Amino acid sequence: MMRLNVLLLVAVVLSALALVRSQYETRRLVMAIEKVNKESALLEVEHQRLLVERRAQATPQRVQSLAQQKLQMRVATPAITQYVSMTPGNAGGASGGVAK
Amino acid sequence: MSGSRSVQFSTSPLLASKTPVWRSKFIVAAMALGFLGLVGRAAYVQVFNNDFFQRQGEVRYARTLVMPPSRGKIIDRNGMLLASSVPAPSIWANPEEMERDPAKLKELAKLLGMSASALDKKLEDDDKTFVWLRRQMDEPDAKAVLALGIKGIYSHKEYKRLYPEGEAAAHIVGFTNVEDQGQEGVELVFQKALAGKPGSRRVIKDRLGRVVETVGDVLPPEDGRDIQLSIDSKVQFFAYQKLREAVLEHKAKAGSVVVLDAHSGELLALANYPSYQPDKRVNLSGEQLRNRALTDTFEPGSTMKPFAIALALEKNLIRPETVIQTAPGRINITGSTITDAHPHGPLTVNEVIQKSSNVGTVKIAMQMTPRDMWEMFTEVGLGQKPNVPFPGVAAGRLRPYKTWRPIEQATMSYGYGQSVSLLQLARAYTLFARDGEVVNPGLLKSDAPVQGVRVISVANARAVRKMLNMAAGPGGTAQKAQTMGYSVGGKTGTAHKQEGKGYAGNKYRGVFVGMAPIEAPRIVVAVMIDEPSNGKYYGGDVAAPVFSEAVQQTLRVLGVQPDMAVKPQVVTQAVEESF
Repeated sequence: MMRLNVLLLVAVVLSALALVRSQYETRRLVMAIEKVNKESALLEVEHQRLLVERRAQATPQRVQSLAQQKLQMRVATPAITQYVSMTPGNAGGASGGVAK
Repeated sequence: MSGSRSVQFSTSPLLASKTPVWRSKFIVAAMALGFLGLVGRAAYVQVFNNDFFQRQGEVRYARTLVMPPSRGKIIDRNGMLLASSVPAPSIWANPEEMERDPAKLKELAKLLGMSASALDKKLEDDDKTFVWLRRQMDEPDAKAVLALGIKGIYSHKEYKRLYPEGEAAAHIVGFTNVEDQGQEGVELVFQKALAGKPGSRRVIKDRLGRVVETVGDVLPPEDGRDIQLSIDSKVQFFAYQKLREAVLEHKAKAGSVVVLDAHSGELLALANYPSYQPDKRVNLSGEQLRNRALTDTFEPGSTMKPFAIALALEKNLIRPETVIQTAPGRINITGSTITDAHPHGPLTVNEVIQKSSNVGTVKIAMQMTPRDMWEMFTEVGLGQKPNVPFPGVAAGRLRPYKTWRPIEQATMSYGYGQSVSLLQLARAYTLFARDGEVVNPGLLKSDAPVQGVRVISVANARAVRKMLNMAAGPGGTAQKAQTMGYSVGGKTGTAHKQEGKGYAGNKYRGVFVGMAPIEAPRIVVAVMIDEPSNGKYYGGDVAAPVFSEAVQQTLRVLGVQPDMAVKPQVVTQAVEESF
């Protein structure tokens, strides 16, 4: 009877310690996940910022002024454009009907 | 002796209690009672009054965190960004607790972009505990400020909107204020959808302020929706650029351009000049802010003639070849004289439009009833608010036909007496571009096919389109509307501006509305130049060139093949492929 009681006491103490430990572990993991979440949010924001910046570098206005001033390009006109038309049903085919 | 030495424990005389038994029993009972009390208390805390204690615990350690939603982006029809939010921390100070190291303060002022004296002024009142130093800085600068490590300087997380397209799309996109509330344009109209809904969650924080546990349900934030407009940023840019050049060249007060997709009614571009930079709004004037294409109405002038002609065709009063005598370039309607700018002789109906003869149009229009004309004008949207969700969209003015006097019916046939916005004018011209159907302009990209409203027959719409084509051809009023590779058609309008009760003698508005390619129109473009004052003022001189360039660029961007022969200047040495 006595031995059983001692055994149970030990079991209770162990389980209590395990509870404390698992609680501690939970909190540690929650903190870690919070940190990572925060980081991910920051990266997401950074990503958005970079997207905007990339877009700002490629606005039609900038492209046009760079093309005209730096690269001496001019705006395409139909006179210097070769038009290729795709016949329906042949879309993507290797020998797409080419017509001028 | 040894016997007495080895006394048994249980019989040890030392243990022989001389005290009464009840005392030990009393102790046991008292301890038991004590334990019972503890058990009772535990039960009270854990079971009976658990809720109360749980709440009290949470009050001490749990916090509600608000999770702000991110504002939706505004993108064009191809997914290009027109507006997006980026973090822009605001810097604030607590003057009371600030350390004032002159060297560091100087550095701080430099980073904040203000003079040292201005900074001192902001900080001089050290009773205050909160002063904004600068709102919405660039993130790297704000980080540099915090890196100075001055005590009492804090940053507050905020967002600001960036508008990569700048002034070209300013009137469409609009802007938000410092609190992220839409103030103009799409930012204002779709404020609710863009803003989203904040979420929240309860967490338990430890004494260092770290989140250690989430309590209860998490209400996730609802991020703002992205709004995809029907605008094509390339078309928008070209249209704005050409408009701006024209306004500057003709020393005009302002100008607007609208490009509509004739197939779907979607707005491909809508630009006004003068414009502004939506993210740098200092010293903005109402002139710059006004979205003229939607809010300003004007007398459409000769651009209304095709509608009178279309109605007469529909009523079988005329054929395109019917000859109308317009000599001597004057006509008298109940005592008032209507004249042509250049007198012509007998003209066919085709030529009436081509040469924009007031007399010819009036002669045709007077064969119809005011009611029929009113219905025609109403069906193409005059006097009706266009169905675009913008603040201040103008409905224009079309008086009820019962009040029309004959002279008014006559002048309305060539566009004096009613008023429209440029968008309404473009919408009305979808009548001809879509073979007799008008379609509502749309601001949001939609893939659903649109249903137009049939107003005139296909044959008559094509007949008018041919006249519009002639107007842009040799002998027409709008030859400057021609563009390389694409056949165009359209109508010029030059209206005296109203001033007070009468018309201003020397103030004009040049208008051009047209479509291309003429056989199967893909786009409708309307251009308005307000008060050109550099010698030229006819719609055919000031507005038509903008049309021409806008058509050229738009059709190229849309990948529409030229329908007219162009002398190719392509230098190719490619060998013909054999099949």
